[in-house]
Amino acid sequence: METDNTLPGPESALDIFGSQSALARSGVGADLALDLTVAMTVAFGLIFIGVMALVWFAWRRDQPAGSWWVWSGGILLPLVSIIAVMAGSTAVLVASTRPAPDAIKIDVTGYQFWWDVVYDPNGAAVRDANELVLPAGRPVTLRLRASDVIHSFWIPSIAGKMDMIPGRTNTLTVTARETGRFRGQCAEFCGLSHPRMAFEVVVMEPGAFDAWLAGIEGEARDAARPELLAGRDVFVDYGCPACHEIRGVAEGGRLGPDLTRVGARGSLGAGMWRMNQGNLAGWIADVGDMKPGAKMPSYNHLSGPELRAVSAYLASLK
Amino acid sequence: MPACVPTSPECGPTPPRPIEGVFAERTYLWAAVLTAAAIGAMVWAALKPGDGPGSTVAVRTQAALSDAADWFRRGPVDGHPDWEHAARQVHDADPDRGAALMLSYGCGACHAIPGVVGARGSVGPDLAGFAGRAYVAGVLPNEPDGLVRWLMNPPVHSPNTAMPDLGVSETEARDMAAYLYTLRGG
Repeated sequence: METDNTLPGPESALDIFGSQSALARSGVGADLALDLTVAMTVAFGLIFIGVMALVWFAWRRDQPAGSWWVWSGGILLPLVSIIAVMAGSTAVLVASTRPAPDAIKIDVTGYQFWWDVVYDPNGAAVRDANELVLPAGRPVTLRLRASDVIHSFWIPSIAGKMDMIPGRTNTLTVTARETGRFRGQCAEFCGLSHPRMAFEVVVMEPGAFDAWLAGIEGEARDAARPELLAGRDVFVDYGCPACHEIRGVAEGGRLGPDLTRVGARGSLGAGMWRMNQGNLAGWIADVGDMKPGAKMPSYNHLSGPELRAVSAYLASLK
Repeated sequence: MPACVPTSPECGPTPPRPIEGVFAERTYLWAAVLTAAAIGAMVWAALKPGDGPGSTVAVRTQAALSDAADWFRRGPVDGHPDWEHAARQVHDADPDRGAALMLSYGCGACHAIPGVVGARGSVGPDLAGFAGRAYVAGVLPNEPDGLVRWLMNPPVHSPNTAMPDLGVSETEARDMAAYLYTLRGG
């Protein structure tokens, strides 16, 4: 899963082929779903071949078939096979959504068109966005909500999907098996940029996860150079904190994604573009072009140096 | 005479039905082929990501779709790459790598660049036909040295530009310049 480290910016699932495939399974729920899919495909393939053999046999016969064939092949066989499939898929559903009492809790809320993520919601409540970090081999209970319209949370390589419905809290317990980078995607049409509502998933060893979680708690990295300080001033002066929070700089904005560690995320715009200063600058200047329907206005009235400074500052928040 | 019901006794024995058409005659074969194809497709798709042929096919398909989108937006001539021209302009540079680098650095967020996947930005100028431009950003003559220096640090040459210094190395800038000089016509 190593990517070319000469590329600018953090590693990204965008550079990994198969990072969003239910066939490249890497979690308990995805295992169950793929096993069920293969079993059903093989079973129905065999039934299909059998029925075709019967059709061939019937063409060759002199006499029309008796009612035994109609009852057994036309009613009994579909009934038995559909009940078997129903039982199998119900068993998979129960097994893949079974709550685990000792699971870590993470809140994920769907917005048009991004994801709000809160780790340890009953304790430290560390807020992040558009990226989900999971410990390998430990069950995690996701509490899924929606703020505006119905979304659906899906990491194809790790687990099945679960709808996010306004006014409800759906829970989904997932267990990732292997470390690596994956990509999730909104799986319920939610508006103009629904296909551009994705997210990064990073699966770490449990020890690394604990260290990572402790590391992102607290305030954002300081602006270390004059250009970054100027960028921080642009961020505040142009009213960005009305919607975006950077802990230690401007707190309380909750209408848009938390930007405390935006530069460390694997991608920009909810899993759509590689995270680097170039894409950040283009995003700020023309959001409407990169993500039609997004609520953020395009800040194309910034001067050139202001745009450079604010994009450099955001890229430095790691 | 009214047609008799095939199963009733007055019709007499049903004559053997002739097999008609290729599909009827080879039903079992078709069924086997279709099933084998479906299972084969699943096995092929489940090959380990990155190692199998799926990766190459996916990358090529994405590039071909992007090229097709460019073609629909610009027409067939505009932005046609001219690799020989690029080689004459920037020696020992790799235009293919330049295109990949422009994707990685996020150039496409601001610039439309023919042949770079997803590069449709309208913040800065469209780079179609860049090889034919007289100036880089209106400040440097469009020649290889100037373009390479511009890509490495734009604000040095034009203090009010919105184009950031992205930390591009000289080798990377030469590769990108080589790709930009493939963009003739338009």
